[in-house]
Amino acid sequence: MLAQQLANGLLLGSTYALIALGLTLVLGVFDKLNIAHGDVFMFGAFAGVAAASFGAPLILAVIAGLVTSAAINVLVERSCFYPLRNAHFLAPMLSTIAFGILLQNVATQIWGSDPSRYPNIEAVSQYEVGGILLSSIHVIILVISFSVMLSVDIVIYRTKLGRALRATAIDPEVAGLLGVNTKNVVLVTFLVAGALAGIAGVLTAVVYSQITPLIGIRLGLIGMVAMVIGGLGNLRGAMIGGILIGLVQVLNDAYLDASYRDLIVFSLFFGFIVLKPAGLFPQPSGNRS
Amino acid sequence: MSRFKSLYFLLLFLTIILVFPETVNAQDTHRIGLCVPITGSGADAGKREVIGAQVAVNEINAKGGIGGTKLEMIFADSGSKPHDAVNAVRKLAGDDKVLAIVGPHYSGVAESTFPLGNRIGIVQVAVASSKPGVAAANRPFAFRNTLTEDKIAVAVAKAVKKRHNPKRIALVVDIKDAVARAIGTKVFPGVLKKEGLTVINEKKPVTFQTGDAQFTAQITKLKALNPDAVGLGALGPDALNIITEARRQGMKQPFFGTAPLIEGNMPEKGGNAVVGTIAGSIWSSQLKDARSVSFIKSYKKLAKTLHPGKFTAKPDYYPVNSYDAVYMIVDAIKSKGIKPGTSDLAKKRIAVKDHFAAMSSFNGIASDGFNKVGDGKKNVHVFEIKDQAWKLIE
Repeated sequence: MLAQQLANGLLLGSTYALIALGLTLVLGVFDKLNIAHGDVFMFGAFAGVAAASFGAPLILAVIAGLVTSAAINVLVERSCFYPLRNAHFLAPMLSTIAFGILLQNVATQIWGSDPSRYPNIEAVSQYEVGGILLSSIHVIILVISFSVMLSVDIVIYRTKLGRALRATAIDPEVAGLLGVNTKNVVLVTFLVAGALAGIAGVLTAVVYSQITPLIGIRLGLIGMVAMVIGGLGNLRGAMIGGILIGLVQVLNDAYLDASYRDLIVFSLFFGFIVLKPAGLFPQPSGNRS
Repeated sequence: MSRFKSLYFLLLFLTIILVFPETVNAQDTHRIGLCVPITGSGADAGKREVIGAQVAVNEINAKGGIGGTKLEMIFADSGSKPHDAVNAVRKLAGDDKVLAIVGPHYSGVAESTFPLGNRIGIVQVAVASSKPGVAAANRPFAFRNTLTEDKIAVAVAKAVKKRHNPKRIALVVDIKDAVARAIGTKVFPGVLKKEGLTVINEKKPVTFQTGDAQFTAQITKLKALNPDAVGLGALGPDALNIITEARRQGMKQPFFGTAPLIEGNMPEKGGNAVVGTIAGSIWSSQLKDARSVSFIKSYKKLAKTLHPGKFTAKPDYYPVNSYDAVYMIVDAIKSKGIKPGTSDLAKKRIAVKDHFAAMSSFNGIASDGFNKVGDGKKNVHVFEIKDQAWKLIE
């Protein structure tokens, strides 16, 4: 059973990693937290479910979720961060709380408060590898999640765009002076962060079936925990933090009791904040991403 | 006109419009309150309850009201949360001066509003709250027009034994929701044992939390127990996901539960995975008696204009409970000869309470009065999923 549970944990953790990655991108570039990120994820999930209910195949549903969440996240930047860029540093984050609540209420009006399900994917095969049972859906989810994480890693660390993003994160003024179009960098950051949230949302809806307008609150919080544990501002740390949280949750449910789940996860979170605030993979000082 | 005369007439006018309407309006109607959620997690069920209650009010007023006086229902959103519900009850009882309140929805919410109702001295008739003991702990003004889960569980256990005769039963329990937790940890173990069925994980059930996004760990653990059947202390949407994941992991055992399983459109959404699932409830739109058929027709008509939407188009047992609750209050008004208006309100509310306390029988669509601790008396129907619907097991 342990091997199976570890596989389950990896599956769950991979979606948490995508959420944490989106949060970390914005934090890294802006040094600010987008508290509406979980609700952006939720909207992407609903967009994917809506596309699938009209008969769209999985890949189109993922694209629908990705595009919707990317667009909403740009709206978050335009309405919560840009107008308040010279205000107190807390003001944009407080504004994203309100925006998130707005998204929850809009989603409830459109889709209702009862849980929505991704239409059944009928042709599901089972694969057994070394005693671990995985459905074809699980395999697809793992492939998509890890491909996206790898792609983000390659873009950030091996492309011109990634260098521009990292330069803006270190010092936007100097980056501007060196010819980086920081406005475009901001736009791309929010687009990519939103897209990651949307992909994670649709994958959550596909595998785990149940989504409601309130699902983003909890999963957004888990994403923040993963971000802290992995190392604030560290993209690779965020991915590892997400997978770690997934493993912890699954092993708790398998061997202890669901009532301890939040206690353990948030004790870990608190422990890191107090004892190792830089997380597992601290950023070098002066370098936010 | 002199300035003093103008001032005099202005003061007189203000006094009239402030005082007189209170007197005039108080003569016009019998005023009751409705406190259910139309926002938050219970919004869809709450909207159906609003429609059900309004169907009753419309029927009563179409027949001339109560002794020629109109019945007026004032609504306040309980917001699916105890804090919001408490504020709503305060408003209905204090500002709107209603005679009695239909609602709330949720045991967790009732545990907050019932003590308030006792302090104010106003009857509340919950329309969804099946955690055992909630009304009993809040006498004398708390009533629940619902059936507690233990009574439904007995009927379900008998049906499961007859259908499958399982030797080993495993339980999966939601440890967050008050009702689901009570079903899984208190109700089912005792009921199943009384039927001679063995629960293999009574002390350590497989657990999860309401609204969990995934159940892979739980199902892997459940599969390792190798039960013959699985009992669910779960709400419908979670039960659907649990069963779907179980089928994905190759489990073929039957699942069963009580009334909360019937929420969430499991037959329509679950496909082949949920065929054979057994649950019990106090009413279903499949029932063919004349009153159920008439109610369904009136409900569907009103649902096109009041809270229209795909989640409110068809009635389930929640709007039936609210419909019957309105008629119960009307019964109290008629029997006790309560006059319309807000004068002597405290005495009128006590009269309603006394009538409810003595209501050991009632001819509702799915309501038969209350027992000694204020919980509803109802028949139980057991259903099984077949052909994408809950089918009555005769």
